This record gives sequence, C-alpha cells and structure tokens, in this order.
Amino acid sequence: MKRILKWALLVVVVVAACGFMAFLYLIPPFFIAAPETFSGPIVAAAPKMDDIKDPAERAIAERGRYIALTTGCLGCHGTPGAQGFDLDKYLSGGQLFIESSGRYVSRNLTPDNETGLARRTDDEVKRVLRSGVLPDGHVAPYTAMPWANFSNWTEEDRHAVVVFLRHVKPVRHAIPDPVLKRTPVRDGAVEEGYGGVDYALRER
Amino acid sequence: MHAQPRMVGGAPSDATRGKVVYDAHCVECHGASGKGDGPAAQTLTPRPRDFSSSKYKIRSTETGSVPTDDDLIRSVREGLAGSAMPGWQRILPDSDIADVVQYVKSLSPQFAQPPVPVTLGAGVASSPQSIARGSSAYEKLQCGKCHGSDGRGTGAVTTTFEDDWRQPLNAADLTEPWAFHGGATPRDIFLRFRTGMMGTPMPSFKDAATDAEMWDLANYVVSLARKPLWTMNGDEVAAFYKQRDADAKANPVKRGRQLVDTLGCGTCHTAVDENRRPLPGLSMAGGLLIRITPFGDFPTGNLTSDKETGLGSWTDDEIKQVITRGVLKDGTRLPPYPMDWAAYSAMGADDLSAVIAYLRSLPPVKNKVLRPSRPFLPVYLWGKFKMLILQRDPPLLFFPGNAGTAGGRS
Repeated sequence: MKRILKWALLVVVVVAACGFMAFLYLIPPFFIAAPETFSGPIVAAAPKMDDIKDPAERAIAERGRYIALTTGCLGCHGTPGAQGFDLDKYLSGGQLFIESSGRYVSRNLTPDNETGLARRTDDEVKRVLRSGVLPDGHVAPYTAMPWANFSNWTEEDRHAVVVFLRHVKPVRHAIPDPVLKRTPVRDGAVEEGYGGVDYALRER
Repeated sequence: MHAQPRMVGGAPSDATRGKVVYDAHCVECHGASGKGDGPAAQTLTPRPRDFSSSKYKIRSTETGSVPTDDDLIRSVREGLAGSAMPGWQRILPDSDIADVVQYVKSLSPQFAQPPVPVTLGAGVASSPQSIARGSSAYEKLQCGKCHGSDGRGTGAVTTTFEDDWRQPLNAADLTEPWAFHGGATPRDIFLRFRTGMMGTPMPSFKDAATDAEMWDLANYVVSLARKPLWTMNGDEVAAFYKQRDADAKANPVKRGRQLVDTLGCGTCHTAVDENRRPLPGLSMAGGLLIRITPFGDFPTGNLTSDKETGLGSWTDDEIKQVITRGVLKDGTRLPPYPMDWAAYSAMGADDLSAVIAYLRSLPPVKNKVLRPSRPFLPVYLWGKFKMLILQRDPPLLFFPGNAGTAGGRS
C-alpha cells in the first residue's frame, strides 16, 4: 500500500513537472496560435476616424490612420499591459530602448494636455518625424526612432499622420525624458529593447 | 541640450565653438567627419551634404564657387524643405548657427577662396506675359526631360537620377513648392537656374538663357504650384487620394520603393557596423542578427532578388505570408516583434503587391543568412521561467557586423 502511494506521488510529481515544462515551452503562444490571434486585435484597436465632421479632415485622418497603423507606430509606442499591449491605451508609449547614446522610453503620442503631444505644435511633431530633432534640439538615434525612414514620407503624408494623432483618444501617461549618457549596450549589441512592462512607471 | 562652448585658453575661435554644436546636433546625418556619412545618412533622399567636398546645391554664387556665409546660415536657420534637414532657428541661438557654419567651412580647403556671388539684376515681376514667356523657356531649355511636361514628371525622359557621389536623387516635383530645398520665392527659384545645383544633374543655365528668361521661368514655376492637401476641401481631398491610388497602381515598383523606404524594412534588413552605419554593399541583404531572448536568434532575411540566398526563388504568396502573418517558407513562425507583421497585415492588397514588386527589382546580393535558431532547451526553459515567473524582462538585442551569416561576427 505504502509502495503504491509512493509510486503514485512520484508519478504526480513527474507529470506536474512535465506539465510545467510544457507550459513554459509553449507560453506565450506566439508559435502555436494562428497569427490572426495577434494581428486582429492590433488592427482593430486603431481608432476609427468616422466621427470627424469635416469631410476633408476625416479623409486626411483616415489616410493618416492607415499610414500609422501599417507603419507599426504601436510596435514601439504601445503601452505594455498584463498580456501584450494594453490596447485601450493606444499609442501612449512606455517601452524601453537602450542605445550607446542613452536610454529612451517611447513617448506618449496621444493628444493629452499634460503628458502627450497636445503640448507640441504640428511643426514640432513633423520635425521629429522628418528630422528626428526633439524639442530640446537633441537628435534621436535613427535605430531607436526610425525618423530617417519617415523622412521619406511626402510632406502631405506626414501631415496626415499628425492629423490622425490629433484625433486619437488622449491618455494621461507621463513618460520620463531620455537619459542621455554614454552607456555600453549589453553583449556589444547596437540596441537593446524592452517591452513586457510599462517602463514609464518603472523608470521613475 | 544646448552645447556650451568650451573655454580653453581664452576665447575659442568660432569654428572651435562650432564643432561643439556640430557634434551635438549634426553627426547623426552628416557624420563625425562631415563627409555626409552619419548613421542615418543612407536612408535619406537626398543624402546629407558631404562638407569635405565643398559642392553645395543651395548657393547664390557662381558654379564652382563656395556658397556665401549667408547662404549657409540660411540653410541651417530655415532648413531645406523636402529633405531631412530641419530649420534650427527656433532651437539654436543665432550665435551657435554662425559658429557651426564656420566649423563646416573649416572642413573644406575650398573656402580659402572667397565666394563669387551672382548678380540678381532687377528681376521681372510676375504677369501672365512673363509666365507665358517662362513656359516657352521651359520648353526651349528642355526642363521637361527631367521634370516632365507638367512639372511633375509626366513624359520625363529620365526618371532615376544620381548625384556626384552616385547616390539616388529625385527630380523636384515643380508643382509642390513646399518641398523645394532652396525655397519657393521667384528669387530662390531664379537662383537655382542661375547657379545650378552643384553635385546634381541640375546645371546652371547661365550660358543657355538670359537673366530675363530665367526670371520668366521662375515666375512660370511659381505658377505651376498646385493646392496643398492642408488647404483642400472634402471633394478635393477625395479626388487627390483617388489620383494618388491610381498613380500607385500604375507604377507599383515606385510605390513599393516608397513603402519600403518609409516602413523602414532596410533598418533591420541591412547589416550595420558598431556605429549603426549600414555596411557597404549589403543594402537589404539581411544579416543583422536579432536575439529575441529567450526565444532565440532571428537573423534578418536577405530581401534582394538573389536566387540562392535572397527572395529570388520565393513565390509572391510565400513573401506575403511572412509580411502579413510572420510565417516563413519552411513554416517557421516569427514572434510578433520586432518584425511587425501584425501591423503589415493591415496593408491594402495593392500596397502589398507593390512592396513585392519593388523587392523583386532589387539587384541580387549574395548573402547567405542563417536560419532562425532556438537556444538549447534547458536554457530556453530557464529563460522562459525568468521571464514569466521571476518577471525579469528579457532584452531584444540587435547585433552589428553581418552577424546573422556563417562568416559574420556574433
């Protein structure tokens, strides 16, 4: 009897350990669930521009939405939540990028008055998108913020993106300023990126 | 972030102060040496100026001459529209701008020669007659060969251009004055005809036309301006986008190039050196090693049309599966980052086909990239345990040096 119990316990422990390993192996299920499980919600989360009354502005914002969505602004400017992005906080930033020139937390692109782009003029936003020059004159490294690519947008496409950003739902989410000091990047890499948690909270 | 001048042994020279400004704000594009080879340079069209060459496009001086200080100060203050060069006037004080101009001049011995300004003459006021004369001059001088009969490239004989550094360049769309690098006033436009744009195929028309003809031509070009998007009404915006979509469909390779350039495919699919500068000859040939801990190493693929190592032997559908679903030809699944296939899944069918048409037009580059690899199983499980249970964030690392190939450094 005792022997059977012992064996049963052993089997339970082994099965539990294997189950745990299998769980570790498979979670998060990037490699088993259909790709649409991930892309569907991300595409659906881009806010519709239907509510804009002025037809010209609506059409321009729609175009801006398409450009911002397909360019993947959310990939860096999304706010990490418990499971992947917190899509309710669309484009409010919070991921961390480390370059040899410093530490950058992705900014809040929503039109929030105190923590977002409502503080910046259209020209200031366009200057970042065209030249990578932040309001303080610092030039963002192109590998962290791919402005060198966005500089190839026509001025009219850039305008459409800014019109779209002005119509995203404002989210209060304060982002710490970049820490601009020479830092070696881990293992001799050129860039180190972190998602998973909201670094706007952690870095403060 | 304004750089403070270094005071070493009394008042530093303007150029010494200017170097501090330059190092703080200019190197990302123009490079530490001023040769126009900063990390971001290769992605930009037009490319940033090479200050060691003294070939400047925007001048009020004769062909072969260096620009005046005022020319350079204006370019820095106001920026060059239609390029990545921003106006620095609201960011840097005038004294910094004057200093950085002195520093830039110190990078080329040509500035030992004084500039030779052109004479502007009295100018010709714009009038229907002047514009009509300008239109004739446009034909006589064969401007349409590059700029098209309508100023926006229609019927142009040449559509791809290179500058003296063999870098790609676009002919200006003369209907979009907001993107004219040197400004959009008749005086600015007259100067481009009169002085030419050194280092580019745009010549000086000094010997081919009179000053009066060039002023007429300037007035004509001003008259070509179309309505910009930001002043259009609803119907005009709808018509504008309809036309744009039709143009894109008619020329998928051009549209695809624009998409690939702006999406930034090359930022990961081109190997870089330790200073984030693209390795020469490997544009779009992959090889950048991305370590997605704890999931493994994912070297970026060779997107050129090479049959063996690039996309040459892939079908359109196989390419689409990677772009929109993150599934490689052999079934390997990519994590949803940093290759943002979730975002690309929202691309329209025409745009997707355009991207593929452009990738197929890339000249083949042989660069055999390794297959994605997972770490040793216990290492992988330990990494997942750290990430999921201990809540330690795993980094995403980008390695320089074509490290994603067998011969590369890792």
